[in-house]
Amino acid sequence: MKEKVSLVWIDWRLGGRSIAWQSLGRFALLGLLAFAFLALHLSGGATRFLSSRYAITAVLRDSVSPEDAEGLARKVAELPAVRSASYRDPAAAWKEFLLAFPGVESLPDAGGNPLPGYVEIRIRHDRFTASGVGSVTSALRAVPSIDQVLAGEDSLSRFLRVARYSAALAWGVFALFLILFFVICRLQERLRASALAGDFGFLLERGMSSLRLAASRAAGAAITGFLLAAAAVVAAAAVLHFLLRRYPFLGNVVGAAEDLSAPSTAAAAAVFILCVALLAAASSLFSWMAARPSRK
Amino acid sequence: MIEAFRLGVFSRGKILWDGLDFAFDDGAVWVAVGPPSSGKTLLFSILRGERRPDAGDVLVSGESLYRAGASVARSFRASCGCIPERFEGDARLTVEDLFRRSALACGGIPGKERIERSERLLSMVGLSGAENHRLSSLSGSERARAVLAAELLRTPKVLFADGMVLSAGDPFGEMLGGLFRALAGEGNTILLAERQLPARWSAVAGEGKPVGPFRIHRLPPIAGKEGAA
Repeated sequence: MKEKVSLVWIDWRLGGRSIAWQSLGRFALLGLLAFAFLALHLSGGATRFLSSRYAITAVLRDSVSPEDAEGLARKVAELPAVRSASYRDPAAAWKEFLLAFPGVESLPDAGGNPLPGYVEIRIRHDRFTASGVGSVTSALRAVPSIDQVLAGEDSLSRFLRVARYSAALAWGVFALFLILFFVICRLQERLRASALAGDFGFLLERGMSSLRLAASRAAGAAITGFLLAAAAVVAAAAVLHFLLRRYPFLGNVVGAAEDLSAPSTAAAAAVFILCVALLAAASSLFSWMAARPSRK
Repeated sequence: MIEAFRLGVFSRGKILWDGLDFAFDDGAVWVAVGPPSSGKTLLFSILRGERRPDAGDVLVSGESLYRAGASVARSFRASCGCIPERFEGDARLTVEDLFRRSALACGGIPGKERIERSERLLSMVGLSGAENHRLSSLSGSERARAVLAAELLRTPKVLFADGMVLSAGDPFGEMLGGLFRALAGEGNTILLAERQLPARWSAVAGEGKPVGPFRIHRLPPIAGKEGAA
């Protein structure tokens, strides 16, 4: 007798309500994982926050006119590693100085404003590396109208190390939770394989191929995992979008809400979804091997 | 036709039997009668292609179950029904569940058709309206008949039933004899393993043929239908 029916959804046919509950649990866990994944992907651990705290100051020569300085800032802003570049004229620089060091208001009376104008340059969080910062400073140093480039090179390496370690730590914790998800999946699959062992034994005794049954179940688990992960990513993205809109200060740590729809975020989400599908399939296969019904 | 040549089995540290030949024609009811621990269940496992004998071979329609690829044995098992001596199912399993998984084993039967046929089959074995009963709530006889009905859902070409008639008890043993002979009349092969031949069957089953520790009886199909296959 030919085997006609697809066995991909055999667990759903036999398991019914229990598998629905298990999937609901997985969806909740995947929602948390997807939220953490998106937040980590956008923030790069603490990289975005640290990059928002860091700025390169290009001190301009006195001879540079405000128009030329504005033009220079625009050109600097076009560099690949630069997020923003803004010109501060000497008056603005003096106001900032007074905010930082109050009590020296009478100093310009002696011989005019002692501070030159400058361009403040912020680095993109995904280019916040030694090479990224180096490429900007070397470009700036080649410009004749720039007198000095203050990039804090002495402490930059320490700054970057903190960013690197914090990112590694955050991704490490995420990986641990992903492993926990896999362990939970395996437990669920194993329990289900044991609960359905009678049914599987029945089918094997009646000529069903063990390989076909295992492969079909794994395919079913992969498709279910894929769909659950996709739904979880959409839900997590919606929550993150809402939070970033509602609490703008989160943007300094996580990023802008618009970044959620960036191609790189979509690509990362696709990788996450595929990983979950693979983990679900693997947990189904492993549990089948462990709880395979014995035949006489 | 199922043929077995020079079958031998080594079990529990001794040779259980050796050099046994069997030939089961299509369209008949065959009863292998043997004392307890004579290896009836083991014989059926071998004949179904589930357990390789330690000696000899089994041929189904001229094809070896053990020397050809595993797909031959699988394909044969897919065309068989099997009623084990003891049914150790999930305590929560209902009669309906038996039909559901039997339908799955034959590649799926549409829900409505499955329900109609299961109602007919349950009525045929004297269990009308038992669809939602849990197996754990049924007696041994009722359970055996429910399993039989679920196996018949797939209209198996060959039906193996181990201790079925004894489990069903009176008066169902007589009814089952008629049912099996009617199925044989439609060209199916029924193989039964029993500790003793039901008394009322002796008239049609004759003396039987001794093969090792077994006595093989042949019940002809219901009169007028022999050779219908």
